[in-house]
Amino acid sequence: MFRIARTKTLESLAHQFVQRCAVSGTAKGKAKLKDGPKKRMKVSTKKGGKGAVDPDPSARPTSRQDQEKYKLYEQCINAPTPVRYLKPKDMKREAEREKLGLESKDRKREKEILKKGGRQAMGVPDEPLMMGTPGFDLISLGLVDADKIPKYELTVEDGRRLAKEYSRVLMRKHRARQAAETNLLRMKKEAIEALPEKLKQAALVPDLTPFPKERFMATLTPPIEGYIDKVKEAAMRSSGAQKIR
Amino acid sequence: MRRTLTSFPRRLLASAREFSTSSEKIVASVLFERLPVVVPKIEPSVYAFQEFSFRWQQQYSRRYPDEFLNKSNSRAQGEYQMEYVPAPRTTEADKANDRKRLYLLLYGKLHGSSDGKLVWHFPQKVYDSEDTLRKCAETALQSVLGDLSHTYFVGNAPMCHLAVQPAEKAPELGYKQFFFKSQVIATNKFKIGKCQDFVWVTKDELLEFFPEHAEFLNKMIIS
Repeated sequence: MFRIARTKTLESLAHQFVQRCAVSGTAKGKAKLKDGPKKRMKVSTKKGGKGAVDPDPSARPTSRQDQEKYKLYEQCINAPTPVRYLKPKDMKREAEREKLGLESKDRKREKEILKKGGRQAMGVPDEPLMMGTPGFDLISLGLVDADKIPKYELTVEDGRRLAKEYSRVLMRKHRARQAAETNLLRMKKEAIEALPEKLKQAALVPDLTPFPKERFMATLTPPIEGYIDKVKEAAMRSSGAQKIR
Repeated sequence: MRRTLTSFPRRLLASAREFSTSSEKIVASVLFERLPVVVPKIEPSVYAFQEFSFRWQQQYSRRYPDEFLNKSNSRAQGEYQMEYVPAPRTTEADKANDRKRLYLLLYGKLHGSSDGKLVWHFPQKVYDSEDTLRKCAETALQSVLGDLSHTYFVGNAPMCHLAVQPAEKAPELGYKQFFFKSQVIATNKFKIGKCQDFVWVTKDELLEFFPEHAEFLNKMIIS
């Protein structure tokens, strides 16, 4: 709802958009904008007085440790990525800025990375990458046949193709599993129906005893006999040593 | 197809027994299975997509300096160092195709099948007059294994039933066979007695033993 503005100063314009409380007819919380529109909060440090900007590392090398610390912070805040991600709108904007001759810091860094060799130099090579700790990844454990993996490039089209295949395979398996489980339930019902009356009543009683805790899930590799004893022994040794200290 | 590549459950087949003649016979048999010990193999296309998405994400993820990433490592307590060499997923019993040892087929659930005059079957017992059919099945398994400390029966109801038609020559031999599901808990060796022979099999091998019931077994046993 717009109200007629009395004057055209900035304060009153802001005032006109203040919400009115339905009951009292006044602004919510009865706060009036005496100081004008609120200023943005500025993070002020104790050193350097009010409204201070973050200390500039090059201007204040207090100690080498501090310098290194700030360098680390800067590296973390402006950490690079091998390939820069831009939405289509951003790409158009970048292209127009290039025409005008302006170049952003990110764009400069991207060019440097490309000069050095692109994403290949930064750790995303064209060959398939090993996932996980060496020796424990799925290929060396034998879970996947390395020669049967389809070849692909790191492009959007290949990604879409792989995604479709992945979805197809998994959904097929899921549906088969669902059908099999439904079948099992059906057969169980039929079996119960086929029992004579007394046994049927006994079979319909739900078995609420908890299942045993020794029933383990399948793991990547089978359990090694005697390993748990070794672990306990090592733990005892290390904890014993600590107590002596 | 090599057995080791499958993650099929294996079930225990019992030895043949003689049946008493009566009109409506009910037989409680036990599908004694060992659940898979290792995760089954992954499809290559599934792995390919996972690898692709990993590499695609790596392209766009930020690279932080090493000192920042190692900060948590430097703060960790000194723990005991242990060498861990993962055990291989196929065992010697797999390679030797030894069906007697439970070490076989880490993937699969295991069956045991025993031989009585070349008739293979699941551990079973004719229902006499116990309280419930499950108790009957338990006694059946007990007679084969000796004790039930490492078994777990799933539920009070049978999981499926099979009506065996009487043969022409012996009309009184028709009976209904009810299967109870039971699982191996926390053990690798079993002392199987009271039968001529026993065998632990996967689903495919089971179909070799009972070709006439192939369809039924396919439905009963999921994997």
